[in-house]
Amino acid sequence: MGAMDRRDFIKSTAASLAVSSLLVSCGKKEKGEPLVQKIGGEIDALGIKWDKSVCRFCGVGCGVLVGRKNGKVVATKGDPECWSNKGLNCIKGYFLSKILYGKDRLTTPLIRKNGKLVSATWDEALDLIAKKYEEILKRDGSDAVAMFGTGQWTIFEGYAAVKFMKAGLGFISKDGVGSNNIDPNARMCMASAVAAFMRTFQSDEPMGTYEDIEHADTFFTWGANMAEMHPVLFSRIIDTKLKNPDRVKIVDLGTQFTRVSEEADLYLEFKPQTDLAIANYFANYIIKNKLYDEDFVKDNLVFKKGETNIGYGLKDKGADIPKTAGKMEKISFDEYKKFVSTYTAKYTSKLSGVPVEKLREAAKLISDPNRKVCSYWTMGFNQHTRGTWVNHLVYNIHLLTGKIAKPGQGPFSLTGQPSACGTAREVGTFVHRLPADMVVKVAKHREIAAKIWKIPVEKINPKVGLHTIEMFRAIDNGQIKLLWTQVTNPFHSMPNLNRFTKAAKERDIFIIVSDVYPTRSTEVADVVLPSAMWVEKEGAYGNAERRTQHWNKIADSPGEARTEIWQMWEVAKRLKVDANRTVADIIYNYNPDNYYEEMWDEYRSFTLGIGKDLAPYNVIREEHGVCWPYVAKSKAVNGKKDFSDVWADIENTEPNGFVSVKWRYNARYDPYAAKFIKEHPERSFKDGIVFYKASKNDYRATVLAVPYEPPGESPDNEYPFWLCTGRVLEHWHTGTMTMRVPELRRAVPRAVVNLNEDDARKMGIKRGDLVRISSRRGSVVFPADIGGRSVPQKGLVFIPFFDETRMVNEITLDQYDPISKEPDYKKCAVKVEKV
Amino acid sequence: MDRREFIKKGFVITAIGTVGGFSLVNLMGRSREIYFRPPGALPEDEFLAACIRCGKCVQDCPYDTLVLADIRDGISVGTPYITFRSVPCYMCEDLPCIAACPTDALDHSLTDVNKMNIGTAVITDREACLSLNGIRCEICYRVCPLIDKAITLNKQEQAITHRHTVFEPVIHKDFCTGCGICENACPLDETAIRVIPSERGDKAGHYFYLREQQS
Repeated sequence: MGAMDRRDFIKSTAASLAVSSLLVSCGKKEKGEPLVQKIGGEIDALGIKWDKSVCRFCGVGCGVLVGRKNGKVVATKGDPECWSNKGLNCIKGYFLSKILYGKDRLTTPLIRKNGKLVSATWDEALDLIAKKYEEILKRDGSDAVAMFGTGQWTIFEGYAAVKFMKAGLGFISKDGVGSNNIDPNARMCMASAVAAFMRTFQSDEPMGTYEDIEHADTFFTWGANMAEMHPVLFSRIIDTKLKNPDRVKIVDLGTQFTRVSEEADLYLEFKPQTDLAIANYFANYIIKNKLYDEDFVKDNLVFKKGETNIGYGLKDKGADIPKTAGKMEKISFDEYKKFVSTYTAKYTSKLSGVPVEKLREAAKLISDPNRKVCSYWTMGFNQHTRGTWVNHLVYNIHLLTGKIAKPGQGPFSLTGQPSACGTAREVGTFVHRLPADMVVKVAKHREIAAKIWKIPVEKINPKVGLHTIEMFRAIDNGQIKLLWTQVTNPFHSMPNLNRFTKAAKERDIFIIVSDVYPTRSTEVADVVLPSAMWVEKEGAYGNAERRTQHWNKIADSPGEARTEIWQMWEVAKRLKVDANRTVADIIYNYNPDNYYEEMWDEYRSFTLGIGKDLAPYNVIREEHGVCWPYVAKSKAVNGKKDFSDVWADIENTEPNGFVSVKWRYNARYDPYAAKFIKEHPERSFKDGIVFYKASKNDYRATVLAVPYEPPGESPDNEYPFWLCTGRVLEHWHTGTMTMRVPELRRAVPRAVVNLNEDDARKMGIKRGDLVRISSRRGSVVFPADIGGRSVPQKGLVFIPFFDETRMVNEITLDQYDPISKEPDYKKCAVKVEKV
Repeated sequence: MDRREFIKKGFVITAIGTVGGFSLVNLMGRSREIYFRPPGALPEDEFLAACIRCGKCVQDCPYDTLVLADIRDGISVGTPYITFRSVPCYMCEDLPCIAACPTDALDHSLTDVNKMNIGTAVITDREACLSLNGIRCEICYRVCPLIDKAITLNKQEQAITHRHTVFEPVIHKDFCTGCGICENACPLDETAIRVIPSERGDKAGHYFYLREQQS
């Protein structure tokens, strides 16, 4: 064996085994199957042609293969080559093909005449829309129009919409600037996560990937019913537990017992809003027991305290919110220690209702230096009047212990929608954002955008637009005169719905709804545009693990239904800038035969060289999903930055000179981190982790001291119950798609109110009884379910929102987080009466 | 036509009608081997003797779960039965069907609906069951009114991906009431979970005896 003795041999074998297992685990070259989807798909024995796509529903982003025969989608199946799901689907994904073929698909444009929607031609509808835009923009300026979009837009659609609003309308509007009144329904879903990401790391989206699940041994789910809302991911967590049942622990924190609680080793049921206190208690426990990672704290963290008493957004125009609501002030580690010392086990237990022993047990697990901990959360945290804070508080725990940006360790903000990340957040379809984490307020960002868009920088409006709640309030107040909604159903999903539906009907507002089925929103529309959906058009989604997934057009859309991009393009063509140019000439100056690729290349240029690098068009088209940053080794390969000098240290690099980064900020996996560390020899970085985007904080992540504050509305004598809303596995959002799948409708035909058994007994309510749930804003009747899949804590009722025949949002409250502006659908006060 | 002739002809017509009717019934496949009876029903033979075909239970069922057997059902005509795939029993806590029964055909001593025993659910098509194929379905489990008691999930590694879990719905006879909500909700065209009579298999109990000895 020459120079290599037995010990060395074992070591090198172990190393090569580790490398080869990593190669396997990066999803490449398994089972010798072809890596690359042959564009156009393959035809099987039944004559079905299979193409890759991605599921239309949740943020997990399961890859699916779509089977087509005679121009129609006839089947779908999980895509075994998509790393996010490895070939599995949930029951919604299983029935995907049926969402296209509901009997009442919209197939012609509709215009409201004498109070009734009647069929019209595309020219009539588009001419009318263009006329309205022109009239309102010239009379009232760009503040008077708004667009409400979605985390279900494809990346291309979101990008086209941002350009339409932020770049295009300034050429028509009397004030000469575009409109920032474009917000996605992701505001109701992800905004708190975004705000905390930006304030903590100065870069949006998680550091890890779903692969963390296979490396971790301790899972914390914070108010997240992953068993129903992220079914395929939950299946992976349970598999990790099955493989090591004695070691792996699942800790569920929530306000009701769900299917996650059933599988959990430890369930902490807390009183609504006291998650703030519990997270602070964990931080206190870590500090008291000296379980924090001293070097990591020294190298990588900065401590701040947040402004307190920041209001609830209950008054129009945020009148009850202090201007300094988002302020953060630097403090020392000692000051932070002192701050969290209030949150003792006893105090936290009293506030939250969780027994002291359970709090201690959970704190021990989350802080154990020998445990690999992943935290997961979604709407329980984000839809929270202190949503940004509570996101921060979980980052605090992971940052103090250094359990972050490493395989199997990290805080992971799950997304609800299939492209909340890819479209809403990365493209920046928000009132304050531009693509790739830039914002309209910053002059330099406007310059970058204007340069790529080839428009004068003055055309981009520096004033932040009206976020979702204020946008709909402004319809009621008369400021907004025109609203275009696409791929979303706000007149079903807005909180305090009665106010906004009434406003839509009574105010002088022109509403355009682009959708595929009649919905509660088409009921108040002046023009309805029938749209192509999902695989009826080329598209791409970006899921929660930063994975961009592309699909080709696979089927034809029915009747005269057209894509949203076509719709915006046609309106832009009708908006004349001068004798020679239309808005379309300026913002959609693409080759009509190849505009998806041209649009992608243009959008991608925003992301290169800044650690948000998206993959080239040919790669997203061929691969079954690619995570960004998709970093090129050298400028020559297709990049803006050169990483040749650190390339050899990076794991998972591909022969083509790219790497798809699995753990951002970690120098073993992320070339940006490796490069940064190399360029800063004066600093030490524990475990090779550097928050290289946090330039404002000397490249340190922020640990924020913020307290428990009560919710915007709490139960009282008149309205003694908490109301919490959400979803069920079988239905998606407002049910416009899944309620048209007979099998899913049969499984869960109606929304029910879940009651605690003791509460129900006291009121003499039995399973199946009709129960009236009323708040200060309205009342709705639901059948009661007791002891079913969701068991609320005493004093809380849970109602899913998918059912358009009984809409829980008629009673929810339009309160929001003053920092993220995301409404809280999880807490308001109601009364419960047997009908 | 005199009276005699009329009667004869009438008899022939009736006979043809009856024969025709029965063969039509047979063609329609309506004759059932098993009738699933309302909560608290006596064993089938005793039930048929005790039920006076008054239809009151059917009238008082708030969900139209119970329907009346008609002439095509032969001896069962006029008795109440359930077709789970159409409407299952939603397990009203006050059992209005039993309250309406003027005889003892439905057992008036049954007051806890969770103790009723219309039948027992079983997974009848394991190859078709989506959950057993690893799809995150488990609808039968989540709609079960006695979730985690009558149906639990048995978890195993998914043998193809090695990354996921198969959540196998397992039905527990001691708790299953045979309400049929699972059979109704199964998303397959041909349901993979069905309610069958609880009395089945080894009635003599040898197997259970053996199992007890082993455990």
